[in-house]
Amino acid sequence: MESLEHKNKTQLSEKKISRRNLLKAGGAGVAVLAGATTVSAKNKSKGKRLAMVIDLQHCTGCGGCAISCKSENNVQRGNRWAKVETTTVGKFPNVGFKSLPTLCNHCENAPCVKGCPTKAMHKGYGDITMHSPEKCIGCRTCIAMCPYGVISIHIQETHPHWRSDDALIKGCTSSPKEMTEKVKGNVIPNYNPAREEFREGSGLHYKGIVEKCTLCDHRVTKGLLPHCVISCPCNARIMGDLNDPDSHISKLLVKYSPRRLKEHLGTEPKVFYVREFNPSATKSTKGTV
Amino acid sequence: MKEHDNKITRKSFLKAATATAAVAALSTVFQPTLKAFAQTTGSKPKEPGQWKSTTCQGCTSWCSVQVYVVDGRAIKVRGNPNSKVNRGNCCSRCHMSLQQVYDPDRTKTPMKRTNPKKGRNEDPKFVPITWDEALDTIADKILELRKNKETHKYMLMRGRYSYMRDVLYDRMTKIIGSPNNISHSAICAEAEKFGPYYTEGLWSYRQYDVLNTRYIILWGADPLSANRQVSYYLSAWGDVLDHTQVAVVDPRFSASAAKAGEWMPIKPGQDGALAVGMAHILLTEGLWHKEFVGDFNDGVNKFIPGQTVNEEDFTEKYTSGLVKWWNIELKDKTPEWAAEKAGLPVKQIVQVATDFGKAAPRAICWVGGGPAMQVRGGYSSMAAHALNGLVGSVDNVGGTLAGNKEYTVSFPKPDDFMDDIAKKGKKHKKIDHRGRKEFPALKKGKPGSAVITNNAAEGILNEDPNEIKVAIAYMNNFTFSCPQTERWERALTKIPFLVHITTNASEFTHFADIVLPSVHHMFEKWGYVKSMGNGHRHVTLLEPVIKPVWDVHIDETEIPWLLAEKLAEKGFDNLQRHYREYKDPETGKSATTEKEFALYSLKYATHNLWDPAAHKGGDKFSGWEEFKKVGVWNSSSYPYRKRWGKMKTKTHKFEFYSETLKAALAAHAEKYKTTVDDILETCNYQARGEQAFVPHYEEPYLWGSEKEFPFIHVDYKSRLNREGRSANCPWYQEFKDLDPGDVAWDDVAKLNPIDAKKLGIKDGDNIKLISKTGQLECHAKLWEGVRPGTVAKCYGQGHWAYGRVAAKEYGKVARGGSNNEIIPADYDRLSGSTAFYAVTRVKVVKV
Ligand code: SF4
Repeated sequence: MESLEHKNKTQLSEKKISRRNLLKAGGAGVAVLAGATTVSAKNKSKGKRLAMVIDLQHCTGCGGCAISCKSENNVQRGNRWAKVETTTVGKFPNVGFKSLPTLCNHCENAPCVKGCPTKAMHKGYGDITMHSPEKCIGCRTCIAMCPYGVISIHIQETHPHWRSDDALIKGCTSSPKEMTEKVKGNVIPNYNPAREEFREGSGLHYKGIVEKCTLCDHRVTKGLLPHCVISCPCNARIMGDLNDPDSHISKLLVKYSPRRLKEHLGTEPKVFYVREFNPSATKSTKGTV
Repeated sequence: MKEHDNKITRKSFLKAATATAAVAALSTVFQPTLKAFAQTTGSKPKEPGQWKSTTCQGCTSWCSVQVYVVDGRAIKVRGNPNSKVNRGNCCSRCHMSLQQVYDPDRTKTPMKRTNPKKGRNEDPKFVPITWDEALDTIADKILELRKNKETHKYMLMRGRYSYMRDVLYDRMTKIIGSPNNISHSAICAEAEKFGPYYTEGLWSYRQYDVLNTRYIILWGADPLSANRQVSYYLSAWGDVLDHTQVAVVDPRFSASAAKAGEWMPIKPGQDGALAVGMAHILLTEGLWHKEFVGDFNDGVNKFIPGQTVNEEDFTEKYTSGLVKWWNIELKDKTPEWAAEKAGLPVKQIVQVATDFGKAAPRAICWVGGGPAMQVRGGYSSMAAHALNGLVGSVDNVGGTLAGNKEYTVSFPKPDDFMDDIAKKGKKHKKIDHRGRKEFPALKKGKPGSAVITNNAAEGILNEDPNEIKVAIAYMNNFTFSCPQTERWERALTKIPFLVHITTNASEFTHFADIVLPSVHHMFEKWGYVKSMGNGHRHVTLLEPVIKPVWDVHIDETEIPWLLAEKLAEKGFDNLQRHYREYKDPETGKSATTEKEFALYSLKYATHNLWDPAAHKGGDKFSGWEEFKKVGVWNSSSYPYRKRWGKMKTKTHKFEFYSETLKAALAAHAEKYKTTVDDILETCNYQARGEQAFVPHYEEPYLWGSEKEFPFIHVDYKSRLNREGRSANCPWYQEFKDLDPGDVAWDDVAKLNPIDAKKLGIKDGDNIKLISKTGQLECHAKLWEGVRPGTVAKCYGQGHWAYGRVAAKEYGKVARGGSNNEIIPADYDRLSGSTAFYAVTRVKVVKV
């Protein structure tokens, strides 16, 4: 165990350097290294295929998932790793309103991974679609490849609003920057350091590169549920291992008819939706012709 | 109450997960390579922080929650797993508390106004001052009143509170010598309590036994979005839908309607018509619950439309006045009549009423603020709530329940510390005019006992009964939260010395002379609140889980203590001597500092909960330290049907003919030596004679003519509102589209596309809503979830102060427009409540 750790450490620092080189010149050598990481990561998750089932009957569209995700992952204003997409259908008074919580689908056949020239986007622990900031060159191929629109880019320095020196009432209120300094945060006052445990800089992400949901890899690798799952007051998000036939999600997938987003594209998403957002009973009838 | 299987699974999974966390972390290939976070030492990464218990007051669900604290910094939040009410859950808006406590626009120091001119367009020109200077100035102003024997010209305004409120709200006001402690309660939902009180003797919000019910009518209530026990109902709803039909009565398509089987988009203000129409159906169809209500002596249903029934033919059990109600009000209120009034199909009304009746007694009519907070809303509240009486769901399994017993105690009495000046001062009449002929305010059957919050502005403006010279206000924002806000702007301008205790420089602060920065309730305060849900009551602690970010103090305890110290210094020590009575139950010691006082007073009030020697029921702790850590006390589970036959009404039964209301109205009429009919006329009700004592239909009273103001304004609350306090959180704006029909970073008025077409209005157009008393500007949104002829707009946006995000330009330009700019100040006078719904007619103009 000790030696393995040591080896990995070396690997990672090499990669760090590689990224910088890459930013300057781009490089083919990195791909090899990254490939090795992918394999070893997969080995370490002992063949887990982590997936999420979203039970729409339980979902209320409250947005607890999407907002708490921002607090867990230090996501800046304007970006969202998790969303709640809503649609209104019908005409008054026959109206329907549906919420669909979305996140990275962690596709088995991930187009973003295929398209990434530096393997920054790769398959990691539990087949999570992972992103390594230190290898990302911000080329945005992944954004173009992803059919789900779940990857965002940082064009400028992160959290620009929190870098401001402006106080609303001079001497009486603070500037955003002063607030963060006062509480010893990191650019943002409620900065979550856990986010960067595995990758340098991923706590705040970099200027010029992309970011996306990593299924709270910093938590799941420790056996902790993703924060959106914990934060869902409706118990609509259920995590589990597809390779484990006894997992709760495996049972749900057999019991219900799961749907996946844009199934026809063959991306094999690992976020499954079961049941209906509005399952309410209606009177049985044979209808009319 | 049944626990959920998947909940148990989740909890055990978490447990197991934590136990194996360290191992799992070591076996990962990823390595910490961090700068600040020194994992490079090779030690295993572990959760560096601690989950600390406290309470969320983002809405009046008052969930027990926990904050994850790393190195004294709050990082994230979750529900407190120790609560049996919210069961480890918190709602989406709870997370925004992080952006409140770390809001850069928080006031970080006391400040004083340097621009003597007051007004919305006057920059107060605040400058920082010390606490000492601030308290000194305030103490001098109070002592001046006392010197001149005009202490009744002192006023305390309260907004949101914890149960430490009485230290500042009640005791301090009394010992200074004023009758004028004015709470915000009447702009909350007091009329919602009116129905339950005058039927079953319960002046309170209810809890609903949703896991055991079969039918729920959400009546102007949107529990998946706002108030009360939101996080509990969010957690239960997925299971509820397995066995329960849900119908929603609401003129706009709500978050709860999105998951319901029936949406009944009622014409605003016609709730009473629908309620009595449904009662008529339940009776004519023989669907009342015989076990609770009783039956005809011969078992033959004589409730035939249009026909009077002999009272002797029916024997009631736990109810009183059913036949009277039928004869006085219901016999002609046919489904066709109700459908015409309510603007709903007959078929739908019959169907919902019948299914509801068939589910009896596991059928809940969930009466929210919607039907109640209207002019004349007290009677709609009664009518809709009376349906629970008919189906016997009151206090029953799968029904509507009261609160469980809890054992907190009140603070010591102030009487011995009130000198002659104080006693005389307190005898003056209150500034909100409660109890006057036109304001019966019949809280708990007593005339003149309910606050009329929004009318205090009138009292101040007209110096009626007297002028207000010195006022302190905390955690409130009446210039934003009260309808016809402009009156409050003028009223506050008139008060020569106004102190505001607040976290943010709000629309109210704008008029203050001294501003005292307050702690954030969830992260920095000692206090407690009680709430109920899931068949339990919890008493949950507000705890300082982090050190206060700035030089701020606790509004309800530390600040009054500091003020008491100052007053004592200057020769008036009554208040300080009184506060010394709140002794620490563990040591018997009096407080010597504000910090000690905050803690001792809390331990005093909750003594019976945490001291094993004083234990009276519910959860038991080994002592204060354990209670503090767990953060919440739970009552034992609900004793169903205990109140049957023992209700706190005149007859001890559920009253369809309210002897209780009859007595209360008679007492008020007696005070003015007049008749009940005269009182009803004065107070703008239509009922005369016996009708006044039964749940009945009253026409809505709207401001403005239909010709000039063709639309009815529909107000409702955002699922992201932390009451009025979250609009400065960027997450509020980013996620505003979580409210059905709303748009992120925007404030929209929603029009039905049919109406919009007629007006030539498109999505995103700048529009004005103009009412008889005001106007606002916002964007148009065309949406099918709005009843034609109405304009629905969410309350929450429209701040012109509060902070850089809430306002488009702080102190100058609002982001959108607040509904309270167009809602006129009017009341349900029997309860004292402010009307928010079915009161405002508007015209819509493109700008
Ligand atoms: S905002 Fe209300 S429902 Fe949400 S966690 Fe806070 S108290 Fe509970």
